[in-house]
Amino acid sequence: MAKLTPRQKNWLEGTGAHIGTASKNGVPTVIVVDKATMVDDSTVKFILSPKQIQLVVKNLNENPRASLGPGGIGSIRAAYQFKGKSFIIGNELFVEIEEIYSTKPGPEAGLRLDNLAYNDVLKFEASRWADDGPPR
Amino acid sequence: MKLPHEIVSLLKIKGINDTVVYLVTSSLNGNINLLPSPYTDVYLDEYILIPDLFAQKTKVNLNENRIGIISIVLPYSDKSITIEGPGNIIQWGHPQKFRFYDLTAGDILKQWGNWTEKENILDDENQTKPEVFAQRGVIVIKAEHINYN
Repeated sequence: MAKLTPRQKNWLEGTGAHIGTASKNGVPTVIVVDKATMVDDSTVKFILSPKQIQLVVKNLNENPRASLGPGGIGSIRAAYQFKGKSFIIGNELFVEIEEIYSTKPGPEAGLRLDNLAYNDVLKFEASRWADDGPPR
Repeated sequence: MKLPHEIVSLLKIKGINDTVVYLVTSSLNGNINLLPSPYTDVYLDEYILIPDLFAQKTKVNLNENRIGIISIVLPYSDKSITIEGPGNIIQWGHPQKFRFYDLTAGDILKQWGNWTEKENILDDENQTKPEVFAQRGVIVIKAEHINYN
């Protein structure tokens, strides 16, 4: 699994995420959850409403892949996309993040970050953004 | 379908600190992708436009599976909306008569093909926006369903 940096964790926990899922035939669905909790360096947990569970459970039963993008005001500075396997326990959605991409518009869009050395990702972030997460 | 006025206002060209808009697409075998964009506009109250700035996975997905979902958190609210419909990318190189529903490539590229003519897109510290704005075309989503969440 991919190890998230402190900045990546802060943005996910601070703003929640847009969570995309798709059926096995490629019909997409997206929900927005405004709170997230990091379970460890690679796993993030969201608490879903009954309606949100209804929207994603069919997709996840046939295709566990999920994609996350930080949400909320100012989150365009959190130019990350997190992809991984997901599962639901009760009203909680867990995503085990396996891939991390830059989504900054321009030539860095789609750059895979989790393949870089961890310290290089930290340098990448420090050279591009002054914050370490959303405004508190 | 025509988008409600408040949604059109939300998606019209906007400032740097506004809520991020995501475009969600999927390959035919369910490989999902999210594209965030600080730039959107609306045409004919029905078509949502996003500049294509190296959105390569979005392009691959839309070329094989023409479904897009726009996801937005409403400002100053905990509510979100999704707008679903067919999607395409109108690219530089398309013939002017290339058609996507009511749109032609000529019209769209003439008006939105150089987004910098519409919007001041460069921020001083380059924390959000690209230093160089190299636009390859315009992503278009035709609104057919709105869901309020």
